[in-house]
Amino acid sequence: MKQDVAVMPDLIAIFEENAAAAAATVQRVASPASNLRQAVERAVNGAETIVLGPDEFLPSSLISALRDLPGVISQPTDQQLSTAGAGITAAFAGVASSGSVCIVIGSPLASAASLLMPLHIVLLNAARIVERPSSLFEPTCLGGEALHRDMVLITGPSATADMGPLVRGVHGPHRLHILLLE
Amino acid sequence: MRESNPTPPAANDSLSPRAFANKSDKKSLLQAIRMALKIQCPAVRKNTQTFNSNRYAATSALADYDQLKDQARQIKEDSIARLPELLTTLQNVVTARGGRFFCASTAQDACQYILGACKQHHARLVVKGKSITSEEIRLNHVLEGAGIEVAESDLAEFILQVADEQPSHIIAPALHYSRERITELFKRKFNTDLPLDTGEELTQFARERLREKFLHADVGITGANLVAADTGTLMLVESEGNIRMTSFLPPVHIAIAGVEKVIGARAQMAPFLELLAASGTGQKQSSYVTFISPPMHDPPFTLSGRAAEPREFHLVLIDNGRMRMRDDAVLRETLYCIRCGACLNSCANFQTVGGHAFGGETYSGGIGGAWEAGTGKLENARFSDLCTGCSRCVNQCPVRIDIPWLNENLRDRLNKAAGLSVASSMLTALTPVAEEDQHAPASKLFFGNYHFFAKWGARSSLLSNAFGDTSIARLGMQQLVGLDRHRALPAFASQTLVQAAEGVPDSETDSPIARAVLFADVFTNYGLPQRGIAALHLLRRLGVDIAVTESIPEGRAALSQGLIATAKGYARTAASLLDKFVVEGRDVIVLEPSSLAMLRRDARHLLESAEQFERLRAHAFEPIEYVARLLKQSGRDPADVFDVLLSPVGTRLFYHAHCQQKTIGAAAATETMLRELGFDVVTSAVECCGMAGSFGYKKDFYDLSMAVGEDLFAQVRAAEAGQEPRALIASGTSCTEQLHAAFERNVWHPVELLASILRV
Repeated sequence: MKQDVAVMPDLIAIFEENAAAAAATVQRVASPASNLRQAVERAVNGAETIVLGPDEFLPSSLISALRDLPGVISQPTDQQLSTAGAGITAAFAGVASSGSVCIVIGSPLASAASLLMPLHIVLLNAARIVERPSSLFEPTCLGGEALHRDMVLITGPSATADMGPLVRGVHGPHRLHILLLE
Repeated sequence: MRESNPTPPAANDSLSPRAFANKSDKKSLLQAIRMALKIQCPAVRKNTQTFNSNRYAATSALADYDQLKDQARQIKEDSIARLPELLTTLQNVVTARGGRFFCASTAQDACQYILGACKQHHARLVVKGKSITSEEIRLNHVLEGAGIEVAESDLAEFILQVADEQPSHIIAPALHYSRERITELFKRKFNTDLPLDTGEELTQFARERLREKFLHADVGITGANLVAADTGTLMLVESEGNIRMTSFLPPVHIAIAGVEKVIGARAQMAPFLELLAASGTGQKQSSYVTFISPPMHDPPFTLSGRAAEPREFHLVLIDNGRMRMRDDAVLRETLYCIRCGACLNSCANFQTVGGHAFGGETYSGGIGGAWEAGTGKLENARFSDLCTGCSRCVNQCPVRIDIPWLNENLRDRLNKAAGLSVASSMLTALTPVAEEDQHAPASKLFFGNYHFFAKWGARSSLLSNAFGDTSIARLGMQQLVGLDRHRALPAFASQTLVQAAEGVPDSETDSPIARAVLFADVFTNYGLPQRGIAALHLLRRLGVDIAVTESIPEGRAALSQGLIATAKGYARTAASLLDKFVVEGRDVIVLEPSSLAMLRRDARHLLESAEQFERLRAHAFEPIEYVARLLKQSGRDPADVFDVLLSPVGTRLFYHAHCQQKTIGAAAATETMLRELGFDVVTSAVECCGMAGSFGYKKDFYDLSMAVGEDLFAQVRAAEAGQEPRALIASGTSCTEQLHAAFERNVWHPVELLASILRV
């Protein structure tokens, strides 16, 4: 007898829709092993200096392939961090219902690369998209790591309505670009 | 429309809002209301109403909103119950991780500790993320007094620092500033010719200044939305990125939070994630929600030539009255507050004047009075008089705090703390108030015992109506009890509902479809008996065996004036009267929504028996809600019973439901019924009409009441623009008075309309 299978919602599509609603831009990258470098090159949009975060949560070969991109600073000084044009970090998770990305911080460069530059590029493994923010706190979700890692849930670029109208791009990044690795 | 009160002298508009931040004396409150109505109202209204509608959209998109609220409430209740134990655990965890932990008993202790930590590092510049708790303890004042520069980095706090004003909202502290006023402020204070005429330009101007501060600050101070005892994790919610920078860039991070922010476990933060974002700004998530268990181990930033020392972290928790609140059966609820601002944004008075009028030195809005009283002096909560008890915040609170009940208790305590005025003594001699309540101000005794005057008024209605209409009498009422001279109390009917009901024929059927009583609430009985008569006609025609009860107060009026002992007495007497009918198998029909809300909601605090309360709650109905229910039970189509074409007022309606009626879920039935019958209905989208029971009758609040009402009046005018007027339909007595005051047209109760369109 055929079993009723609960229909899994299309988390990727929901993620894309909600991330866009939060004013992030999302681009799918199929076969990242061969296409990621080119996608990142396009995404940095001419930024002259780029800071690359740690290589956790993605195959290290993928990140290594980005290290010799033009503009990537291998050992940035604090001065370079404070003036760089783009930061690239791998995501620990994505959250479909809110279009958020979760970045683990605390290791060198992760906070800086996700905060100080006007453009933040996130590399998100599509298999790491969970249903909603609270899913992260379930003990079985992504190895339960959200229960003990230092992390930030990022939803769209930094924003404020304190000056009257909604303004995107305040102290943090003005643009959040998510490369969704399938 | 009536002319508004002439503005009394002495309202100095050039005064900073700080001058009347403390409202322990009533003059400051009235001065602040005048200032807010004159200057801040448009920005406050626009911003709060945007938050408000975004919150409704966001919470209705959460399929498990109610369960999330239950979970959040449970976690907060447990955490506050276990607080001493959790604080010990947290101290051990933070210390074991290499952080420092300090629990400050008073604001002064907290400030001295933080100042000490700054001095130890020879700090010259401190950068701060938004922390209302730091406003509570006046931290900036202490640091600046010691020669340390404090840079507020949240843009709203930046504006307030430039303007030297107190916060006016718990999550958007500069919400009373329009873009135009910020431009004017910056140009003046920074003496600049830069173009600062858009949000982008203003933001960039502030960002450039603050980026330098972040990079060179010696110490960063943040608040915390939640703190988990098991892991020492801070949850930091923000949208600008300044809190991330404040906690990441300087080598020393000091986090300050009230002790009530501590919960048992990091995993318990889960239900708050969506709940806080939806309830606060109406978003799915704020831009940044950071979870860190400091001290962090990534290398500190050394741009300003600092040596790369290890990072240092201090967690400063603040008691400052909270442990006393924990022991206070009423104020304890305040500690469950997660400071989302939903009670501010859903409040009609707050939407009109904001937190510089409806707020104290730090906290504002519905929950603000309890915070000010708990962390300061009871008198500082006097602004909570602006809570009308309309109850619109009640269903919006993500941790289910009964905010009107907190404010009714604060009012009760303030009444008792106040001396006995001459007017009060005259009124207590006249009225049957509980001994404990005899110190209440005259105005509160008058409105709290309105039934008493109504009863005497009705016995001599010709005399009292004539007397009540002469201007000398009005001035007298204004002097004695604070009734605004522009307001007419509902005229006393020559025949009360109880008297007039004797002439209404009984139901003709021997087998009634239901048995009920119509509660002769004071407002209907003495003021609008025709509404009760219409309800009797209607329900008897539908086959209901229904009689009218005697008219006694149910305690609503007394409760709203903070006369809690008196309210208890009334509520218990009324409940035992009505409960006898319920036990006999009768339902209780109540016309005045605030009286119904007393039976369905507020009486839980006043009755001795929880079973009796549950019984009454389950059997008390608003008349149209009851009609809809009966028709549904008997499978009858409303259109077979009523004929819209018989309507004496046409088919175009404007319907305004009563605030408390909406809160108890007794409003939707009327709207649905009218639409199903084929009426063209426009409904009001305001939270409250501004009258809110007795609030709008008081001379001190008349202007505010009319300013709130203006929102409703504008909706009526918009619904009628370029067309024939719509018939005005309202379910509440005071809403009827408010609409009547504005439009000078007859205002119908839905039951009168339905009774007039019964098919023969």
